[in-house]
Amino acid sequence: MPLSFLNPLIWLGALAVAAPLWLHLRRKQETQLHRFSALRFLEDQPAPRRSPWRPRHLLLLAVRVLALALILAGFAWPYLRGANTLPIRESRVYVLDNTLSRQADGGFFVDRAALLKELNRAGNDLQVAVVELTSVPRIVAGFADDRQTADQRIRELQPSFERGSYLAAFRQANALLNNSLGDKKRIILLGDNQENQWNENIDTPPFLRQVDLDLPKTPAPELPNLSLSEPRVQRIFLGDKSLVNFTVKLTHSGPAKTANCLVLVNGQTILNRSVDLEQQPETLMLQAQWEAEPSAWLKGEASVQGDPDALPGDNRVFFSLAPVVEGKVAVLAQSSYLRLALSPDIMRGEWAARFLQPGNLAAELAGTEDADVLCLESGYLQSAEVRKVLWHYLTNGRGVLLLVNRLTPGGDACLRELGFEPEGTFQAEEDNPDSFQFVFFNHAIFHPFLSSDYGNLMEIRLTDYARLRASAALPLVFSQRGAPLFFQSTKFPGKLFVAAFGLDREHSSWPIHQSFIPFLDLTLQAARLEDTTPASFEPAEVAQWQLPAGSTASEVVLRAGDHEIERAPVEHGRVRLRLPGQPGLYPVTFDDRQQVERIFSVNPSPKESRLVYVDVPAAPKLWQIEGRRGSVQEEASPVRGQVRLAGVLQQRLWWWMMLGGLLALLLEMELAGRKRQTA
Amino acid sequence: MTSTTPTLAERFDPKMLATLEGLDFKARYVMEGFLTGLHDSPFHGFSVEFSDYRNYQPGDDLRHLDWRLYARSDRLCIKRYMQETNVRFYLVCDTSASMDYRGSGAWGSKLDCAKVLGAALTWFLLKQNDAAGMLTVSGLAEVPEFIRPSQRPTQFGLILRQLELLRPAGEACLSRLLQHAARLVHRRSVILFFSDLLEPSAEVELGLKQLRFLGHEVLVFQVLDRDELEFPFTEPRVFEDLETGVRRVVSPAVVRQQYLDRFNGFMAPYYALFRQLEIPHCLVRTDENPWHALALFLAQRKRYC
Repeated sequence: MPLSFLNPLIWLGALAVAAPLWLHLRRKQETQLHRFSALRFLEDQPAPRRSPWRPRHLLLLAVRVLALALILAGFAWPYLRGANTLPIRESRVYVLDNTLSRQADGGFFVDRAALLKELNRAGNDLQVAVVELTSVPRIVAGFADDRQTADQRIRELQPSFERGSYLAAFRQANALLNNSLGDKKRIILLGDNQENQWNENIDTPPFLRQVDLDLPKTPAPELPNLSLSEPRVQRIFLGDKSLVNFTVKLTHSGPAKTANCLVLVNGQTILNRSVDLEQQPETLMLQAQWEAEPSAWLKGEASVQGDPDALPGDNRVFFSLAPVVEGKVAVLAQSSYLRLALSPDIMRGEWAARFLQPGNLAAELAGTEDADVLCLESGYLQSAEVRKVLWHYLTNGRGVLLLVNRLTPGGDACLRELGFEPEGTFQAEEDNPDSFQFVFFNHAIFHPFLSSDYGNLMEIRLTDYARLRASAALPLVFSQRGAPLFFQSTKFPGKLFVAAFGLDREHSSWPIHQSFIPFLDLTLQAARLEDTTPASFEPAEVAQWQLPAGSTASEVVLRAGDHEIERAPVEHGRVRLRLPGQPGLYPVTFDDRQQVERIFSVNPSPKESRLVYVDVPAAPKLWQIEGRRGSVQEEASPVRGQVRLAGVLQQRLWWWMMLGGLLALLLEMELAGRKRQTA
Repeated sequence: MTSTTPTLAERFDPKMLATLEGLDFKARYVMEGFLTGLHDSPFHGFSVEFSDYRNYQPGDDLRHLDWRLYARSDRLCIKRYMQETNVRFYLVCDTSASMDYRGSGAWGSKLDCAKVLGAALTWFLLKQNDAAGMLTVSGLAEVPEFIRPSQRPTQFGLILRQLELLRPAGEACLSRLLQHAARLVHRRSVILFFSDLLEPSAEVELGLKQLRFLGHEVLVFQVLDRDELEFPFTEPRVFEDLETGVRRVVSPAVVRQQYLDRFNGFMAPYYALFRQLEIPHCLVRTDENPWHALALFLAQRKRYC
């Protein structure tokens, strides 16, 4: 066993050995010496000579020798024993992939068993740590933990539904290795080499210095899977009916021919049917519609079953929908169709319309009777007061639906201020009208029109519309001739939707089309000022929620069923909640009240359902830094790792010997004190 | 094991000092001063205490003419009075390393004893409205530490703090102290001198004579340990000098008489000098209660005055 004088333990031991010697010699001097003030009267006495050494006070000597022997043995013990103080050959960090995708074919349990086996097989010259890859990488066992503790903690791990980052886990593992003692450093990934995991961090600069990587061997390029994702639910009013429109994305890969889809809402089965997957694209959009009570919370889940399916964990999604709160709309339009559509007979319970008089806008300007949305025809923009009302709504964060039915000099100037450049009007011949060509169906307004139940938007004909060029607005609908027809502006605090046409028969056939009322309803809903916090999250995601204005809650409580999961304080009107790792629906209440304010749905990430793997990922090669092994750390600490302090301190006999040495020293001090008193 | 040494303030016992209440500490010579007190002044004035008569001279204030005497003896005489003043006292303390000695039977080192005595005298003097100051030399420092005399009540705390700060160090410094005292003390004052006097008297003689020549009164408190006075050691051992570090192997039983002879011979010139210069001397032993020595000394001073 090599010993070096640079080892701090050697110096500590030398100090401990020197202490009793110094004490002995010092006391010997003290006991024979008397410091005196009147020595001048003894000047002719002889000067002292060094007396010959001879053993005296044998008991004291024996105790001192015993103390020395015990301390020496204590410090030499780790070297003599050797078992726990072998040089650390290798420091190894296992990254255990516990994301949802690793549940496929029981991969997580296989990895966990393999890790336990490796842990039991590892010798004393191997340092082992384990990092669990979840949404936030977690150190399950550090280098200082004993094997028994690590074993116990690994056995307690359960498969999760979260999505994690390989990069974050490798960074965590690298941080552990930076403080390790091994001559070699290695990271072993126990995972599935999921393709989208490796590709998302491929641009990260290298950070693994002299670290070897062991990546898993991928047995198959792809596994069969059925999954549901992106559940969307909306309320639509058709006449007196309050309908709920639900869509969900079904993704399938592999040889499954059919799948059974089930939708449960508030405990009732809404849909239970088999879907044919043969000859179908990989992603299908499933839709359901039913009548629902508008004043009640809607809580539902959708699931799919099929065979083969390697990952059942992503077969279920949850969704919720808040009760309807009647909105207010102020109308300044001459269109009789629009006025009729917004009349109480049509929009009862959902929208209360107030028809403004152009000559009496003082109340609107005073802001005492603000509506949620202002519905306005551009012909009125000639009036300065109307323009003031428009700006009042936009700057106060309220919604505006502007219908450009006529271009006027005053109206053009106002449109330019809003970010729209009028370039004239288009008037089609009666026998050759224009129509919708492209509609942005992913937008909340047009998403329900994917279903033919609300009418086909392509049937709408346009005969007269304004040609608008927008610099700060998103076109949502284009005509057959390529003109943008419907915009959402992003320039103002309030939401601004602009239609390039009026809602009269002379402009468009839309007012008499069956899609008109749903369109109007959905547009007003989209324009309405509402809470922008999403209601759907991934497992273990952190939600930042801006509470509604005027809320007096001091705490927000996240619940699962009847019991409380988390209680978070409200700071500056905001709250931060960490959602659970299990998919499901989680109501939120304020303080100690029981009234449900929101229902958050937690669903797995769709990326985890993509069970496609790579054999040799490119990212790890980019992350590694090549260089001469040990050139940095070994130069800095040449005796690193020869004696592990933790290993030394774990030896009970070492402690007993040190304790014995100290007790012997104490006894020696007592004996020496008595001796001196006697002298 | 080490025990915590009590501070000077803790050791200072006012009850014990109260036994000294009846003793008047008057200076032997008439001193000049500013405030009216217990001590006589050489300057005659017109106050309460009558001194003597002198013949009237034209121009004298007629208010001080003794009309009764004129009626009785037909002589014009002016009454003279004794103006009472305060005295300025200086504590001068020897801090050589030999003052650190503490024998087995002593209640403190010699310096501790000197500190207690100095504090007691300061308290006593301030109480009778005298001004107290202090002069010391710390260790090897060339510059002395000087506290100007004052009779304010805060002066006691100031001197007490300075006494606490005194640490024994260095070789004999008696002659240096006396030179500093002669240089710094201008008005006629009383100098209370605390030392073990383990320095040859020849070196000290000049300083004492100089002080007396300048009109100062000097009082010497010689602080000694029983070991120094009696040399009671029995076992052979190595003695190390506190000031010089020189070591000697000594068999006490053999050299005791020789030691005592030499010690007494060393002190004899001092005692002769004190008699010659009329300097009161008081021996204080560190194994005895210092208050007894102090009370005895004050009683002797009272009789002397």
